[in-house]
Amino acid sequence: MEQDLAELHDEATALLTTITDAAELERFRIDFLGRNGRISAIMRRLPLVSKEDKPRLGKLANDTKRKVEQAYRSRQQELAAAAEVSSQPSPDLSLPGRQPVFGSLHPITRVMEEICTVFSSMGFSIAEGPDIEYDHYNFAALNIPEHHPARDMHDTFYINDSILLRTHTSPMQARIMEARQPPLRVIAPGKVYRCDSDITHTPMFHQVEGFLVDERVSFADLKGVLALFTRQVFKKDLPLRFRPSFFPFTEPSAEVDIACVICEGAGCRVCKRTGWLEILGSGMIDPEVFAMVGYDSERYSGFAFGLGVERIAMLKYGIDDIRLFYENDLRFLNQF
Amino acid sequence: MKFTLNWLNTYLPTPVTDPSWLADSLTMLGLEVEAVTELYPELAGLHTGLVTEVEPHPQADLLSLCRVSVGELDLRIVCGAPNVRAGLAVVVALPGTTLPGGIKIKKTKVRGVHSEGMICSERELGISDEHTGIMELAEDTPHGIAFRDAVGFDDTMIEVDLTPNRPDCASVIGIAREVAGLSRQHLVKPIAGAAFARRSTSFSVRVEADDLCPRYAAQLLTGITIGPSPWWLRRYLLAVGMRPINNVVDVTNYVMLEYGQPLHAFDFNTLTEKAIVVRTPGPDEKEFTTLDGVTRTLTDDMLMICDGEKPVAVGGVMGGLDSEVSDATVDVLLEAACFNPVSIRRTARSLSLSSEAAYRFERGVDPGGTLDALARATQLLVELTGCTAEDGGIDVRAEEQPANPIVVRADRSSQLLGITLSATEISELLEAIEIPATPAPNNTLSVSPPSFRVDLEREVDLIEEIARLVGFDNIVSTLPAVHLDFPTQDHSRILRLEAAAIMTKAGFSEAITYSFGARRADDWLRLGADDPRRNHIRILNPLTEDQDVMRTSLLPGLLESIRRNFNFQQSSCKLFEIGDVFFPTEQTTLPTETTHIAGLLAGNRYGAHAPLYFKAEPVDIFDAKGAVQALLSQLRLSTDKDSDGITFVVPDEQSREPFADQHYCLSLVYENRAIGSLGKISADILRSFDIKREVYYFDLDFASLTAMVGTPRSFQALPVYPHVKRDLALVVPTSTPAQDLVETVMGSGEKLVKQCELFDIYEGEHIQPGHKSVAMSITYRSATKTLTEKQVEKTHAKLITLLSRTYGGAIREA
Repeated sequence: MEQDLAELHDEATALLTTITDAAELERFRIDFLGRNGRISAIMRRLPLVSKEDKPRLGKLANDTKRKVEQAYRSRQQELAAAAEVSSQPSPDLSLPGRQPVFGSLHPITRVMEEICTVFSSMGFSIAEGPDIEYDHYNFAALNIPEHHPARDMHDTFYINDSILLRTHTSPMQARIMEARQPPLRVIAPGKVYRCDSDITHTPMFHQVEGFLVDERVSFADLKGVLALFTRQVFKKDLPLRFRPSFFPFTEPSAEVDIACVICEGAGCRVCKRTGWLEILGSGMIDPEVFAMVGYDSERYSGFAFGLGVERIAMLKYGIDDIRLFYENDLRFLNQF
Repeated sequence: MKFTLNWLNTYLPTPVTDPSWLADSLTMLGLEVEAVTELYPELAGLHTGLVTEVEPHPQADLLSLCRVSVGELDLRIVCGAPNVRAGLAVVVALPGTTLPGGIKIKKTKVRGVHSEGMICSERELGISDEHTGIMELAEDTPHGIAFRDAVGFDDTMIEVDLTPNRPDCASVIGIAREVAGLSRQHLVKPIAGAAFARRSTSFSVRVEADDLCPRYAAQLLTGITIGPSPWWLRRYLLAVGMRPINNVVDVTNYVMLEYGQPLHAFDFNTLTEKAIVVRTPGPDEKEFTTLDGVTRTLTDDMLMICDGEKPVAVGGVMGGLDSEVSDATVDVLLEAACFNPVSIRRTARSLSLSSEAAYRFERGVDPGGTLDALARATQLLVELTGCTAEDGGIDVRAEEQPANPIVVRADRSSQLLGITLSATEISELLEAIEIPATPAPNNTLSVSPPSFRVDLEREVDLIEEIARLVGFDNIVSTLPAVHLDFPTQDHSRILRLEAAAIMTKAGFSEAITYSFGARRADDWLRLGADDPRRNHIRILNPLTEDQDVMRTSLLPGLLESIRRNFNFQQSSCKLFEIGDVFFPTEQTTLPTETTHIAGLLAGNRYGAHAPLYFKAEPVDIFDAKGAVQALLSQLRLSTDKDSDGITFVVPDEQSREPFADQHYCLSLVYENRAIGSLGKISADILRSFDIKREVYYFDLDFASLTAMVGTPRSFQALPVYPHVKRDLALVVPTSTPAQDLVETVMGSGEKLVKQCELFDIYEGEHIQPGHKSVAMSITYRSATKTLTEKQVEKTHAKLITLLSRTYGGAIREA
């Protein structure tokens, strides 16, 4: 009987692993565990065994029954879980996600902030001035007296004899130096205006002015700071070229070119086949400008620079028509 | 400034052969090269020819039948030019050649006669507008050679964009000086150090306005034959875009380009009293006709060149019609002068006249070069016209103020540039471009700038020269040694950036529109006659009428942007702008610039996003209101009535924006002052802007927001005990604002009430007409214990009583 029980247990567990559907499982239950099943049949033989073997064999029979029942239930659960999984339809995960709707910052704001961030990381503070400005700050304070040919470089919108729309952000040099003492590290972003409108000019555009005044600041420092800046903004170590130029408020003055971001210097339509792109004007602040704000130019020196935000944005993003910035076409705006 | 490579080379001891090297070198010297153009490449296929015989065309009076030798070819060509004659050297286009205008030359029959090519006029060659006859080449031109070689067109034009500080380089000699300096050589001038042998008595010169005319020199030439200039001269003028006129005018132009000294030729016999008087106009001299035939109005401060009686030229700007050199001129008085730059500039501006002469005078002409240029022009005219130059002339010169030499410190130069230079090195650099610099004590130099460098007045001007000559590329970059500090922050700027970030997260795209606009938009917006926004700052010289005033509202610009977007089939538009509006103050002070934030919403609420989930629904006023609420709450600005926050108020007729729909408009009020509004833009207003869809707007005075203090971030302990929610619905008249009910609940003073939210507004079946059911969900919670059903019931019942007593409505308990 002991052997019968062991054989029954092994047979039952082996059989269970082969069962895959509920009907088969039910047949198993009736066959092994039912009232007239095979375990019951063995147990019915118990009264026939010897008295001393009875307790041991009785326990063994009960244990066997319990083990088979356990195996049966666990198989039942397995089959139920499998049935649940296979009865659910599988979802179509190719459907789009449910995205929140975002807008976008204007590319000019984006580039202007990028420029401001680079300079403020270098310790420059940021200041903004009025769009409508005195002739004095826009010109005279920057060593551009009336009837100076340099005024030809600025097609100015006038409000009256002494008030105009600023043609550059440089008036902020004079305003800030007038109000504060060196050392100074400042950038001044903002809108500027010139009466000029075609494929490369809009009557309103954006500039960032920057200047640094301290003791012993040199032209070599100007080169160093601007090289650092262009590397950060264009994320590339593009060659830079400083060439002599003229601004009444700086001396020496330099235009700064970068190797064409499109052709990397090989020559293309964007750089007019020169391999270079002009990106900013700069120079050492003219002693006349210092004199007008009462700085001692023997003690202090400094550099200033001004850059066109549209120009940089166009180069950075490959935009070919400046007018797109002010049409506010969402198909354009949402590209940035 | 334009010149050609061959022209430049005439002054250089070692000629330049590579135009691109020249262009790079000039650019790096600060003479930015704008263009390098090979001259007339399209004329490469043309040849020279010699007309050997001319016969009249049998069928046409105006045509001639010519035999033309082109090398070994003997061609028959029909020609219609009046100047064709045997022995003439001409330009021939052989069959197969394409002319610059695109005409392809073929063998053809002209009125029944074969023609084997074409003899060309200057216009047909595209080198000038001359078309009265065929182009005549120099007599000794061999036939059968390339036309470009024969006339020296094998040349390159170079254009330099001059900065205003370098008038000395508005001359080929000035450019040559810089180029020669590159190889430490000196240029060769055709004439230098000229002086008059004696003072002329054939005419007189009197300078009355010597402040406006520091130097005036003149030379008399007699027995001139006016005619065309020779080819070498014409081709230089043509190459730089100047029209050849006649030998006298061409020579004055050529020498101006060569020396940078403008010259003027008067027909001597038109000058009354054979006199030149340099003065300002007299009281009766109000008008003057310049040589372009235009009569111009004179002002008191203009400098005029006069004869013994009347003005004959606007000094330094343009000559007069009556004294102009004509074909009949035989005697010429040649003028070379220096004028005050500011005076010239003012005159040129007020006469709206720009000329090559004025361009140079207003930047500064070398007062030391006057006689050289005059002598050079005299030399050329004698050579080209066979005239006689009087031995002597008149040179009136204001007394020279000997300029003090400039001290240049080597140390200062080194420090400012960030390189190390000795006085000797500096001296060598400056000498290369003819700036004499002699060593002085203490490592300094004494520099006396030459008269042609009018821009060099101070030490720093010379330091700039030094930097330029060293080469900016040879100055090694460094970084400034500065004190570490924290940059000051501009609060309003930071807030503006924050607001922009919030708006983009809320689905709005940022627009930037022009700060100027049209006054017409005020009418389109129906602004009242006394609306302060009608009071614009006007631009004196606008580009267009649409941009003649500074904006007082961001809305017209944004509406225009919306219109554009709808034209381009956008289904959804949410735009915002943060920008300044401008209001006048007194004439002499700056206007007020105030920052506003405005936005427009139109079309589909969810944009083009997955229509699968977001069904197309049009935006409404609550999208606009929600956007403003989100902005304010993200900026941590209170909108709570009880804590003096910004409140949304339904405006009365007077205070409602004139462009807002009367039913859909809210004002934002802070401290009893309207700081903005939002609403729906009236349909008729939109029609003015040509917009065919509903548009909602908001417009806030951003400067007011900047002035407010946001609620500081601080921690509040999280609730420990669970909350209980109870819903109720109250039927009230339609006109009762639902928010009032919420405020009644929240203001009930019941401590357990934590929140009250509207969740349904219902009108219709089962509700009496003129009424609505307002359903609210109230949250109860205690800070000290878990609430029992009984406690919640008690408070809820009190609120029901309060609401029905306050609004008299029936409770529909959920």
